[in-house]
Amino acid sequence: MVVGAEMVKAEVKKRLSDPDVLLGILDNLPTSIVVKNSDLQFVYSNRAHCEIIGKSEAELLGASDKDFWEPAQAKKFLENDNLVLQQGIEFDTEETATNDAGLSTLLLTKKSRLTNSDGQTYLLVTNTDISTLRKREDQYKALTETIPVGVVQLEEDGTIGFSNQLFNAYCGGDISSEGRHVFINKLGSAHQGFPGLACKFETDVVVAGLGRRSVIAISSGWMNIGSSGRSAIISIIDISEMMELRRINEEVSRLNRELADNMAKLASAQDELLKKGRMEQLGQLTATIAHELRNPLGSVRTSAFLIERKLKDKALGIESQLERINKGVTRCDNIITQLLDFSRTKQLFCQPADLDVWLTEVVEEEAKRLPEKLNLDLQLGLSGKHVPFDPSRLQRAVINMISNAAEAMSDLKTPMAAEAHITISTYFKDDHVSVRVSDNGPGIPAEVLGRVREPLFTTKSFGTGLGIPAIEQIAVQHGGRLDIASEPGRGTVFTVWLPMKALEAEMAA
Amino acid sequence: MSRLLNILVVDDDAANAESLAELFQMDNHRVIVAYDGVQAIEAFSLNKVDVGFFDVMMPNKNGVDSFMEIKATNPEARIYFMTGYSADDLLDKAVAGGALGVFSKPVDLSKLLQAVESEAA
Repeated sequence: MVVGAEMVKAEVKKRLSDPDVLLGILDNLPTSIVVKNSDLQFVYSNRAHCEIIGKSEAELLGASDKDFWEPAQAKKFLENDNLVLQQGIEFDTEETATNDAGLSTLLLTKKSRLTNSDGQTYLLVTNTDISTLRKREDQYKALTETIPVGVVQLEEDGTIGFSNQLFNAYCGGDISSEGRHVFINKLGSAHQGFPGLACKFETDVVVAGLGRRSVIAISSGWMNIGSSGRSAIISIIDISEMMELRRINEEVSRLNRELADNMAKLASAQDELLKKGRMEQLGQLTATIAHELRNPLGSVRTSAFLIERKLKDKALGIESQLERINKGVTRCDNIITQLLDFSRTKQLFCQPADLDVWLTEVVEEEAKRLPEKLNLDLQLGLSGKHVPFDPSRLQRAVINMISNAAEAMSDLKTPMAAEAHITISTYFKDDHVSVRVSDNGPGIPAEVLGRVREPLFTTKSFGTGLGIPAIEQIAVQHGGRLDIASEPGRGTVFTVWLPMKALEAEMAA
Repeated sequence: MSRLLNILVVDDDAANAESLAELFQMDNHRVIVAYDGVQAIEAFSLNKVDVGFFDVMMPNKNGVDSFMEIKATNPEARIYFMTGYSADDLLDKAVAGGALGVFSKPVDLSKLLQAVESEAA
């Protein structure tokens, strides 16, 4: 025990044994205390009771309620008094008392029966003026009717202390205790601990007459705010309109994104169409030019051949000139081939075939055209897999990759290194196969690598700049793609990826 | 000893046709030149042709169509094609119809002469 507490307690006990002290305390209490005998005459009245009635204790003693209250009021008091006196039950009520001066007071009244040691019974009545308290309570209740929030006070024992009209509306108009509990239970099923634990959450509830509503529910959790037991204040904020706005906003955002996507798709489709149109024009133009140029090239080649044969034994020393003519014809022919390859927009003719077997033939044929010092490695990894492809188109892509690699290495200022080699390999991953051509040449500088896919871009003195775009175009036409990786000083890797399953359009072709 | 052949060269490009004719004549073959498909058919009907070298794209009648007509009356006709660019559909038809082969222009002359030699053997 706290030091000194024992001493003070003993001192209080000693003082209270003095009746004057005790009566002084009773007179100073704000609660009115009155003791009535079995005839319901006042035998004791403290000062607060005297003030309620407006008489001195001396005037009250021996008198009874009927002498001071208006008759109906007095009758009601006396009936209750008798009930408590005769049956000994506790009486506890709030009542409005109007004295004979017409002044009303809200009283919290408690009545109980006392029995003296000599067997006489008395009635102890206490009255607490709760008018101010109730006025404040009414103010708060009025306040809850002015805010757009449903409010309910729920006692821990389940009784509803108070609820405002908005809350009652959520109960679908059923403002019976059960009706309001049904709604509170709906909220409770959406959040653990509700309403006993302080919490705040969003949920949807279906309300009779209102339909589905989105609400924020807030509970204070159990707390001591009532006169007896704990209760919780629960607030319900309807955010359905806000949610609807949010939903509309999200929908608008989604539609905007979709619109932007579609616009982008449309723009790219337009580009594609334009490009296709241009490519088709280019294709027709190129085909015409190819035909028109190859005829004279043919006669130039044949004529050079005739000259060579006619003057063979004459030792005119024109061999190198004739060779230049022949090389020129071949170069022109190669340029035409590249133009035709690039501008070719015709549908592919894809047939599933063993890619490894096919590639072996292509590489063997191409190897004959390459410098002997160049080592060609073929590493096949498809183990007999059949893949749909257009042989003449893919052959062009493979030849372009191999001749690019070969040219990259012959571009070296020094003679081709003995270890110069090109590795051609096949590989499959998931639903794609790859044909990869890698060299150990000088590699492509980063600034050039970024542009090699551009048509007409070339760093070669005799290049059309169409070789790589044609490879890419062939890969894309097959539904695949071209990857290019290069490291200056180490070499370059070209990889054409093809889908194992043909594009539907090609299957139809 | 290889025999001498009657060779039909068909090409609307006169320089081409004539230079090829001269090439074959150098080896003493007899060469007939035609400048379109109709002339080619006529040349076949008037001459005994051992082997023909036909251009594809020509006025009046293209090489493949005239080849098909010749084949209809001369199933034994031996004909090669020469083309400036691959007209896949036409050439597929020609090869299916019994053409001996296709040379792309400008023609690789050593291969062309090989073909003539094998015809003459």
